[in-house]
Amino acid sequence: MPRVASLYLPQLAIERLRRLERPRALPDAPALPLLPIDDDPGACSVPRGGGWRPGARWAQAESARAAIAEEAAALPLHQQPTMRELGRRSEAAEHPFKRAAATVAAPQPVLAAPVAHAVPLILVEAIGQRQVIAATCPAALALGLVPGMAITQARALVPDLDIRPADPGGDGAVLDGLTLHAVRYWTPTAAPSGADGLWLDLTGAAHLHGGEARFCARLVRFCRRFGYTARVAVAGTPGAAHALARYGRDAVTIVPTGGEAQAISALPPAALRLTPDAITAAQRFGFDRIADLLPLPRGPLARRLGLASVTRLDAALGRVAEPIVPVVPEETPVAKRRLLEPIGTAEAIEQVIADLLADMMLLLQARGRGVRTLVLLLDRIDGSEQRLAIGTARATRDAAHLARLFHLRIARIDPGDGIETMRIAATRTDPLGATAVAGDLTGEAAVPAVATLVDQIAGRVGEAALFTAAPVESDVPERAVRRTPPLAAPTGWPAWRRPVRLLSRPEPLIGVLALLPDAPPRRFTWRGQVHAVVAGDGPERIHGEWWRRDGEVWAVRDYFRVEDEAGARFWLFRRGDGVDATTGDLSWYLHGLFG
Amino acid sequence: MTTYVELQVTSHFSFLRGASSPDELFAAAALQGHAALGIVDRGSVAGLVRAWEAQKATGVRMIAGARVDLDDGRALLLYPTDKPAWSRLTRLLTLGKARAGKGGCTLGWSDVVAWQEGLVAILLPGEADAVTAAQLAELSTTFGMRGYCGLAFRRRPDDALRLHDLAALAGEAGIRAVALGDILYHAPEARLLQDVVTAIREKCTVDTLGYRRERHADRHLKSPAEMERRFAAFPDAIAATAAIARACTFDLGELSYQYPHERVVEGLTAQGALEQLTETAAARMFPDGPPQAYLDQIAHELKLIGELGYAPYFLTVNSIVAESRRRGILCQGRGSAANSCVCFVLGITSIDPIKHELLFERFVSGERREPPDIDVDFEHERREEIIQWIYDTYGRNHAALTAVVTRYRARGAVREVGKALGLPEDLTKALAGLVWGWSQEGVGEKQVAQLNLNMNDRRLRLALELSRQLIGVPRHLSQHPGGFVLTHDRLDDLVPIEPAAMVDRQVIEWDKDDIDALKFMKVDVLGLGMLGCMNRAFNLLEEAKGLRVGMADLQDDDPDVYAMIQKADTLGTFQIESRAQMSMLPRMKPARFYDLVIEVAIVRPGPIQGDMVHPISAAARGARNPTIRARTEGRAGEDARRAAVPGTGDEGGDRGRRVHRGEADQLRRAMATFKFTGGVSQFYDKLVEGMVPARLSPRLRRADVQADRGLRLLRFPGEPRRQLRQDRLCQLLDEACHHPDVFCAALLNAQPMGFYAPAQIVRDAREHGVEVRPVCVNASRWDCTLEPTRGRWLAVRLGLRQVRGLANAHGERSSRRAGSRRSIRWRKCGGARAYPAPPSSGSPRPMSFHTLGEDRRQGAVEA
Repeated sequence: MPRVASLYLPQLAIERLRRLERPRALPDAPALPLLPIDDDPGACSVPRGGGWRPGARWAQAESARAAIAEEAAALPLHQQPTMRELGRRSEAAEHPFKRAAATVAAPQPVLAAPVAHAVPLILVEAIGQRQVIAATCPAALALGLVPGMAITQARALVPDLDIRPADPGGDGAVLDGLTLHAVRYWTPTAAPSGADGLWLDLTGAAHLHGGEARFCARLVRFCRRFGYTARVAVAGTPGAAHALARYGRDAVTIVPTGGEAQAISALPPAALRLTPDAITAAQRFGFDRIADLLPLPRGPLARRLGLASVTRLDAALGRVAEPIVPVVPEETPVAKRRLLEPIGTAEAIEQVIADLLADMMLLLQARGRGVRTLVLLLDRIDGSEQRLAIGTARATRDAAHLARLFHLRIARIDPGDGIETMRIAATRTDPLGATAVAGDLTGEAAVPAVATLVDQIAGRVGEAALFTAAPVESDVPERAVRRTPPLAAPTGWPAWRRPVRLLSRPEPLIGVLALLPDAPPRRFTWRGQVHAVVAGDGPERIHGEWWRRDGEVWAVRDYFRVEDEAGARFWLFRRGDGVDATTGDLSWYLHGLFG
Repeated sequence: MTTYVELQVTSHFSFLRGASSPDELFAAAALQGHAALGIVDRGSVAGLVRAWEAQKATGVRMIAGARVDLDDGRALLLYPTDKPAWSRLTRLLTLGKARAGKGGCTLGWSDVVAWQEGLVAILLPGEADAVTAAQLAELSTTFGMRGYCGLAFRRRPDDALRLHDLAALAGEAGIRAVALGDILYHAPEARLLQDVVTAIREKCTVDTLGYRRERHADRHLKSPAEMERRFAAFPDAIAATAAIARACTFDLGELSYQYPHERVVEGLTAQGALEQLTETAAARMFPDGPPQAYLDQIAHELKLIGELGYAPYFLTVNSIVAESRRRGILCQGRGSAANSCVCFVLGITSIDPIKHELLFERFVSGERREPPDIDVDFEHERREEIIQWIYDTYGRNHAALTAVVTRYRARGAVREVGKALGLPEDLTKALAGLVWGWSQEGVGEKQVAQLNLNMNDRRLRLALELSRQLIGVPRHLSQHPGGFVLTHDRLDDLVPIEPAAMVDRQVIEWDKDDIDALKFMKVDVLGLGMLGCMNRAFNLLEEAKGLRVGMADLQDDDPDVYAMIQKADTLGTFQIESRAQMSMLPRMKPARFYDLVIEVAIVRPGPIQGDMVHPISAAARGARNPTIRARTEGRAGEDARRAAVPGTGDEGGDRGRRVHRGEADQLRRAMATFKFTGGVSQFYDKLVEGMVPARLSPRLRRADVQADRGLRLLRFPGEPRRQLRQDRLCQLLDEACHHPDVFCAALLNAQPMGFYAPAQIVRDAREHGVEVRPVCVNASRWDCTLEPTRGRWLAVRLGLRQVRGLANAHGERSSRRAGSRRSIRWRKCGGARAYPAPPSSGSPRPMSFHTLGEDRRQGAVEA
C-alpha cells in the first residue's frame, strides 16, 4: 500500500529571502564584567573576584579540607559532591568542549533566530500589465495584504512596505536542492509538487527513519534548521497528502491508509488543486467543503467543475492512480584508478591517463554525451592533490585526442614523492550521439575536423587567443567586427567591399590633395611615402553613432577607396562632410589596406 | 538658373519613415531656391494637402505623387500628369488599400499596368543587374516615354559605378534616367529623429537597430545647384527632372467637389427644390402662416445659399435627417447650423434662431466662402444604421468617413522616444506623467529636476530633446467619429479610400482640415448616448403613463427644474452631472437657461486653468468689479465666452477686435480643431499684444494671459452647442424633476454612459422615493421596465441587462417568452456563467429565482 508524504513550505519565498539576508557574523559576545583590580598583586598572579584560580582549593588549610570531607560524607549518597568538586585531581576534568560550548554563545540558533523585521515584506510579480503580490510575510498578512492583491492597493493600505520582486527561479532552486537531498538520503522517489512543496514516496522507506511520525518530526526540524516553516502530511495518495499539508489543521498530519476520504472531507475544494475557474465555479455552487462534492452525481459535477476536477477528486481518494515522477540526480561521470605503487614518471602518468580516458569514454558512451571539460585529479602520497583541467571546443569522445590534450600539459604535474590515486571527472558534458564516419561508404572526402586542431592550439596558446571574426550591425568600421569562439560560423557580412586589413588605429595622412566636398584625394603621404592616386571611389559617408557619445552626434567620415600608381589600394577617410564644419575638421586618415 | 527639380521627397506622412513635415520641407526648399518639390509618400497621398497648403505659403510648387512598393519588390514613383491621371492614381491606391486592409497597400505590376495611363513612372532600381534590366524593359513597354529610371546617390561604395551602369542599362532599354535626391528629411539635423522613428517603427532601441536603420546616407534636402553639381556626369538626368515637372501639371486645386444630387423634386434645380421644401415645411410648422420675421430670415438665408450654391448640401442633410425620422431614430442638428432658420423649419434642428437671436452669418457667410458645416447627432446605439444607410444610398464609392491624423503628443512622444533610446520603462512613465498631454514644449528641465534626475545624463537629455521634436509627428491615420464626405462623382476619383479597422467602414486619407482646404462638403453623423436615453424615456413615458412628449415640447423655464439644479441634484443629467459641475451649481444658482450656458462654459479645463472661473462666478453673484461685470452682463453666454477667451467669435470680443477679423476666425478654427498644428501658438503673441493697449489692470491682464494659455484646451461652447445643451438639459431636467421613475429606467437602459454607475443611479432614484425592484426571472424584460405601485411613482423593475454574463441574445430569447411562467430550465441558455451583478450593494438581490420558489444554488446546479 503506497504511503506518500507531502512537504509544504508555506513561506518558502519569504523565508528564502530572510535566510539570504540573515546576519552573517556571529553576534558579539557579551562584554565580560570588568574585574576589580587587586590591591595586593603579590598574593596571586591571577585576578580575584570570580572565575577559576589555580590552586584555590588545595591551597586551603588541611583541617578545613577534612571538615569538608566529613560534611560530604554525612550527606546522602546522591547528594554527595563529585570528587572533582572536592578537589581531587585524580578524576578527569569535564570534557573540555562540553563546557566551552555551553558558555560561548551557541551559533546554532542564529540560523533560525527570529530577526525582528520592522517593515512588512511582500514580493511582487507582474501578471500581464498588473503588478500583484506573489507572497507576503506573516506581518503583512496580518495587515490584510494577501497574495493576488494589486500592488497599488497594497501600497494604499500599508504605506510603509518593503516591496521586492519575486524570484520564482530562486525558490525553485531551493526546492530542487531539497528534492535532490531527499532522493539521496531519505527515499528513492521524491518530486517537487507545485512551487512550494515536495512529494516523498515513503512506501517501504518509513521504517528506515523510525516510522512515519518520527520522519515527519525530523523533516520539520530539518527545515526549521534552515529557516523554513514546514508542514507535513502523510497519506495513502499524493492528492490527499498534498491537500492535508496545505489545508490541514496541524503542522504534521498522518492519515492511516483508507482514511483519506474522511480526512479531506472537511477541507475546501481548493485543496484538490483545481483550476481557478473550477474553484470559482465551486464557490458559486456553494461547495464549501470537499464533503459537498462526494455525494453528488458525477455527470453534473463534471459538467460544472470540469472533468479534470473530478479526476483530481478521484486521485485524492485513491480511485485513480497518480504516480509521482521522481527526480533522478545526475552524477558527474568519474573514473578512478588506485595504483599499486606510487608513480612519478611522465610515461607512467600518461599510461594511467589513457586507461582512465578509456574508462571515461565507456561511461560517456553509455550516457550519449561528449566531453567539454575534463578534470584530472592526482592524489600524491603526501596527501596533497594535483589538478589538471582541459576543455574542448566541441563535445568529443575521442580518447586519443583527449590524451593528446593532456599530453600538452603533463609537464605541469608535480608528482612529488609519487602519485597513488588518479581520478578523472567530466565536469561539463554535452549531448553527443553516434557520429557517422563520412567518406568510408560514400567515398566523399571527410571534412577535416578543425575542432581537434583548435583544441590543440588552444592547449598551447590559451583559449583566449583563439577566435574568429563575426559581423556587428554597425556602419562604423571599428565596431563592425567582434570576436566569437573559433568554431562559430558567423553570417550576415555586408555586401560592400571592406579592406582585408583594417588598422586598429587610423593613421593620419599628410600632404593630402583633394577637391571638396566629395572628390577622392589626388595624392597623399603615408608613413613618409608619397602616393599618387590614379583612381578612387567614394565617398562612402558614415555617420557617427549619435546614441553612444556626444562626440559622435554630428561626426561624419567620408571614406574613399583609392589606388595609387603602383596598384596598391587604400581605404582613406576624411573627417567631416566637406560642407558643414561641425561634422569634422577635414583631416585625412588611412584606415585600411586592400589586398 | 537651375533646372533641377527634386522629385523624391518623403514627408512624415510616410508614417514613421519620413522625419519632416511638409511645412518644414517646403520652407527649406524655398530657402534653397527650389522651384518645385515632388512629394511621394509610401502608398499614400495623405500629406499632399498639407504640402499643397505649404505650396501656397512658400510659393514652391508641389508636384503630387505617390510611391508604390510592389509585391515583387519593385518600387515606383508615380506622378499624375493631369486630373484624370490623378483619379487613376487614387483608384490604384484604393485598390491596393482594399487588398491590404488598414494601413497597408498591396499592389502588383499588373495593377500598375492597368492604371498606367497618364502617369509618369520612375523606377527606383536596385543594383545594375539583369533584374533591373528586365524591369526597365517592362517599364519601357508599359509607360513608353513616361517611364524613367531613377538615379540617386546612396553614399555607399561603388556609388558612381552603379549610377553609370544604371544609366547605361536605361539607355539600352530606351528609357531616360532621372536624377533623384531620395529625401527623408529637410535638414541634416533631422537624421537623429529619423533614426528614432525607425526604431519606433521596428519596436526596438536605437542601439539594437543595426542594419534596419536607413543605410543610405545624405538624405536631407540639398540645393538644386548642389544636385546639378553631383549629377554633372548625367546632364540628361537633370533635364529629365524639369521635363517631368513640366509634364505633371496637375494641381490639387483642380479637384472640384460636386455635391451629391438629391432627387427630391423632379424637374427642379437643387435651389428650387430647397426653396419649395422650406416653403412647405414652414407652412406645416406655422399653420396660420409664418410670422414676418421668419419669412424675412428665410428669404435672406435662401438668397445667400443660392449665391454660394450650398443648396444640395442642405438637401443632403435634410434627407439624412428625414431618413432617421422615418426610422424613429432621434436626431438633432448642432454646430452653427442651428443659427439657420432654414434648418429650423426643415426640422434639422429644433432651436428657434429668431427666438434666441442667433446670427446666420456665423453659419454661412459670403465673406468666408467656406462650406457650411452641419453636425447631426444621432442616438448612439442606432447611429450605425444611419451610417450604413448613407453607404447604401450614396454608394460605397461616393461616401466615406474622413480620417483623423493621430499625432504624437507630449506624453506619447516621451514614452516612445524613451523606449527607443533604451530608458527604463518606469523612468519614461515618470517623465510622461510629468507633462501635460497637449503641451507643445514637452518635458522641460524643470520638470526633470522635480524627479531628481540627473540632467547631465546624455541619454536623458537626448530623449527629452528628441521627444520635443517628435511632438506633432503623425503616427497613423484613424477614422473620424462621424465626418462623412459625400460626392456626386466617384469619391475614389478624388482621394484614395482605405478600409477602416471597423467592419463595413471606409475612410479617406485626408482629415477634416484637408477637406476644408479643398472645400469638400462634410456631414458629421455623430452619436450621442443621451439621445438614446431620451428616446427611451419618451417611449417609457408613452407606454407607462400615456404621455406623449417629443423633442419639440420642451420648456426651458420651469422653476421646479431650476430649484433642483440649484440644489445640485443633477445626477445623470447630461453636461451638468460631473462632480465639478455639481460643486459649482449651488454657487452659481442658475435661474435661467443662459446661466446654465455660462456654467457649462466656464467649468472646463481652459477657464479653470486661466483662473477665470471665480471672477465670473463672483460676477454672477453680483460682484462689483465693473470690467468683469460688463463682460457678464447682457447676453450672458456671449460675454462669458468673451471674458474667458478674448477674440474667439468672429464678431470679436472687446479686445479680440485688435486681432484681425480673418485671423480671429482662423484662431477659432485652430482652437476648435483641437490638435497639434501649432495653429494657436502663433496667435498667442498677437493676442497678448492686442491686449496691451486695452486699459486693463495688470492683474486682470495677467489673468487674461493665463486664460490664453488655456486656449488650446478650450473648446468653448458658444451658440453652436447651445441648443444641444438646451434640448437635452431641459428635457432631462424636466424628466428628472417630474418623472424620476422614468428617468431612472431610461438611464439604466442607456448604460453605459455618463459619469455614474448603475448603483449610483439606483441609489439616487431611491432617494427620490422611487421603488427599485430586483431582477426577476419572470418579471424582468431585457430592459428595465416600469411596474405599477401604490406610491406616487411607478416602480422600476431592473432588467436582465443588469445581469452580468447574460448576453443580449439570451435575454432576447427569454423576453420573447415573457409572460409565460418560466421554469428553471430556461437558464440553460445562460449556462453556468450567467452570474448576477448586483446593481447596488443594497437590496436588489442577486439572481432572483424566488418567483419559482427554488433555492438559487439548487437551481444553478440543476440547470
